[in-house]
Amino acid sequence: MYKYVIRRALLAVPVLLLSSLIVFGLMRVMPGDALTALMAESGNIGEKELAKVRKDLRLDLPYHEQYLLWLWQMVSLSPGDSLFTGEPIAVSLRKAIPVTLELTALAMILGLAIAVPIGVLSATRQDKPSDYAGRMVAVTGLSFPDFWLGTLVITFAAIWFQWIPPIGYTSFWDSPWRNLQQFLLPAAVLGFRLSAATMRMTRSTVLEVLREDYVRTAWAKGLGGRLVVYKHALKNALIPVVTVVGGQLGVLLAGAVVVETIFALPGMGRLTVEAIIYRDYPVVQTNVMLVAATLVTLNLLVDLTYAWLDPRIRYR
Amino acid sequence: MPTQGPKGDRSGVSRRQFLRRAGGTAAGLGAFALSRPGSRAAAQSASPYPEWIPASTKSPKRGGTLTRASAWDPPMLDPRMTQSVGLFQFAGLTSNRLVRYSFADEASHPGDMTLKGDLAESWTTSADHRIWTFKLRQGVKWQNVPPLNGRELTSADIKYCFEAYAKEGVQTFNFKEIEGIETPDKYTVRLHMQAPNVFVAQALAEPISIVFAREILEEDGDLKKRCIGTGPFILKEHTRKVKVVLQRNPDYWDKGRPYVDEYVILSTPDAATRTAAFRTGQADFIHVASPSEVEVLRKTNPNLVAQSYFNALTPFGLAMSQDKPPFNDVRVRRALAMAIDRQRQVDTVYEGHGILGWGVPYMYYQDKAPTAAQFGPWWQYKPAEAKKLLAEAGHPNGFSTTLFYYEYFPQMTSQVQLVQADLKKNLNIDVKISKLDYTTYYGRYVDPKWEGLSWGFQSGHAVGLDERTYQYMHSKSTKNFFRVNDPQIDELTTKLRQTPDAKEQRVITKKIVDREFDQVLRLWMPYDNGFMIFQPHMRNAAALALRRTDAYGSPQVARVWLDK
Repeated sequence: MYKYVIRRALLAVPVLLLSSLIVFGLMRVMPGDALTALMAESGNIGEKELAKVRKDLRLDLPYHEQYLLWLWQMVSLSPGDSLFTGEPIAVSLRKAIPVTLELTALAMILGLAIAVPIGVLSATRQDKPSDYAGRMVAVTGLSFPDFWLGTLVITFAAIWFQWIPPIGYTSFWDSPWRNLQQFLLPAAVLGFRLSAATMRMTRSTVLEVLREDYVRTAWAKGLGGRLVVYKHALKNALIPVVTVVGGQLGVLLAGAVVVETIFALPGMGRLTVEAIIYRDYPVVQTNVMLVAATLVTLNLLVDLTYAWLDPRIRYR
Repeated sequence: MPTQGPKGDRSGVSRRQFLRRAGGTAAGLGAFALSRPGSRAAAQSASPYPEWIPASTKSPKRGGTLTRASAWDPPMLDPRMTQSVGLFQFAGLTSNRLVRYSFADEASHPGDMTLKGDLAESWTTSADHRIWTFKLRQGVKWQNVPPLNGRELTSADIKYCFEAYAKEGVQTFNFKEIEGIETPDKYTVRLHMQAPNVFVAQALAEPISIVFAREILEEDGDLKKRCIGTGPFILKEHTRKVKVVLQRNPDYWDKGRPYVDEYVILSTPDAATRTAAFRTGQADFIHVASPSEVEVLRKTNPNLVAQSYFNALTPFGLAMSQDKPPFNDVRVRRALAMAIDRQRQVDTVYEGHGILGWGVPYMYYQDKAPTAAQFGPWWQYKPAEAKKLLAEAGHPNGFSTTLFYYEYFPQMTSQVQLVQADLKKNLNIDVKISKLDYTTYYGRYVDPKWEGLSWGFQSGHAVGLDERTYQYMHSKSTKNFFRVNDPQIDELTTKLRQTPDAKEQRVITKKIVDREFDQVLRLWMPYDNGFMIFQPHMRNAAALALRRTDAYGSPQVARVWLDK
């Protein structure tokens, strides 16, 4: 297994290099730069002054030099400063990462807590009203975009309950209660979509497993319904579910961009979107690389989870 | 008047409802007397809400926290490097200017542009308007925060700050006009201008002309991280994308002010969330664009106070590449102006609550907002005549062109599409639209090479007459984004800068405006009037023309108090 992990880690290097080239290239292809965004609206700055500031920010270097410089900064774990705000990127990330981590982790927990029981219920009561209800919820979740659901939730929470999550992020360590108030609703919005896809997969794989011989044997032995479903069937049914959840992580991160904006959470999503708008090259590049590395790592973890769920799986 | 639809149906508010609301508002507010500014044409006020909320007559109460959910985030704290509203929604509260415009509790109507002393107690100018002398208030102290520690402000601080503005950054263009600065004593600053300019005091009253502390620039090398001034509030916290917290400056030179203990600006990029924040009391005031939004808000917050905000100018219009064919032909520009139904945009996109659009604030040349007739013959919607004129210009079958824009707000896209439809239907002009992101748009717009059309803008960070004439229209100005290149305009705008007499200024300004409309140098498009919405306990928070309390007019917050 160790050899497998090392091989996968080595394979990640070209993937990350390719990602770095793509994001670097795409950012340079986009017209305008951070200076344009910062100063253009004022119209009060001449070409000479602009050239000077560009030089200060090293935006005048040839592209290959800019790329190598940035690559070195990434390898040496010092990604530099934001072109737009001047804030060290490491500081911005230290503030943003915990927010997105908390949001996505809570969304994942909420999503799974909804999806798995309903998926199992749907499967064990196939074609019954509860199955139809579960499937309807799943289809609804898949059909509602995050921005729509988020806007609806915040608007109607204000109208019906005269309450919305307190605006102005508070860290969990400063005030756990206030922090949870700020995160539960956005996490539910984000988790709802995840739960929809997971619920459908849970239902279909549990249905499939319930028709397996060994499950029939378990029934024949006179084991109780819950024991058969949860101990014998569910664990085997979860492998495709884990794959789906792993695949949904990217969707979750993309959804976080919208949800963070609606619920005014200062996470990675908002940081990246703002950096793209203002052509803050180093911030965008660093964030994308971080997300790429996270997804590579999580995919590896997902693969490793298979062996835990099904001991017959061997890594070579 | 052209900017309004039928009064009865524009917001779905009946006369009875209006009277009930007005009565309720008056009763709820007690001290607020609802009046009309008198400087506006009557027919333009179809809104059921007042355009002006006079100052409260009650004695102000101290204390409380004022909160606002804001769409903007300061990109940085350095006023030399940005004129972003994100910064100036509070920078005018941490710092002062030499001169300022009247606050709402001093003004007689929203268009009152009277200058008052801020850090300067008085000012004079030489006969040729090249030397300006400002006498500073004595005893003004920097905030009691290291490294300033409450030391006294002197004329040397002003000299240092203005020289730094002239040296680099976005204000270089204005401050470079200062040839030299003298400080004959601790409380006197003398500016020697390169050329006569009667608008120096106005320029220094702009929200962006704040005086920063030399110690910060010297210690940090920039002003990106700390914002310490002489203003009514001390910047206690600035967490990007979270909030800005301003704390009352107990040593503020304007004794007794500010009234609120804290002003918190919450970074809230989503409009629905900002509305929800107001509904739930997490925000004390908000700006909304349309009458229907006010009505919807009223359902949950029946006691809210609404100010119908009349825009004195429109920030957006069609910019034409008038240095190239076909737009270098005035007949083509006039044909375009006659072929676009701007009233339809006001009626549909802005629910009847908007202005047809003009670039120079009307109060600089007349008392009332301009009527459609005043814009002249080319600005009347006459498709048949437009087609004839275009044919005379050699384009009987129309032509193809491009239009690029950045969507500042959703209504803008509707306007762009209506223009496209009008030009196709009336002149057979095919307009290919490109919707760009913010940076791409600016990158292209400020580069004088673009062709065709653009949805042009004029920024709101400065409100003075010089800003709106010379700075935006003179062919040599770096802010001449609309590419105006008209010798008469150059001559008039330069002459205006040298004309001290207010009456004569109005005459020249009117000539500039008439010339602009006659030559269709900038094809202004309608813009919303909007509403400022306040919680019922807010006092002295009315927005002024060109100075919205939530934006560049934020210094007004020093006068706001909470009646609860």
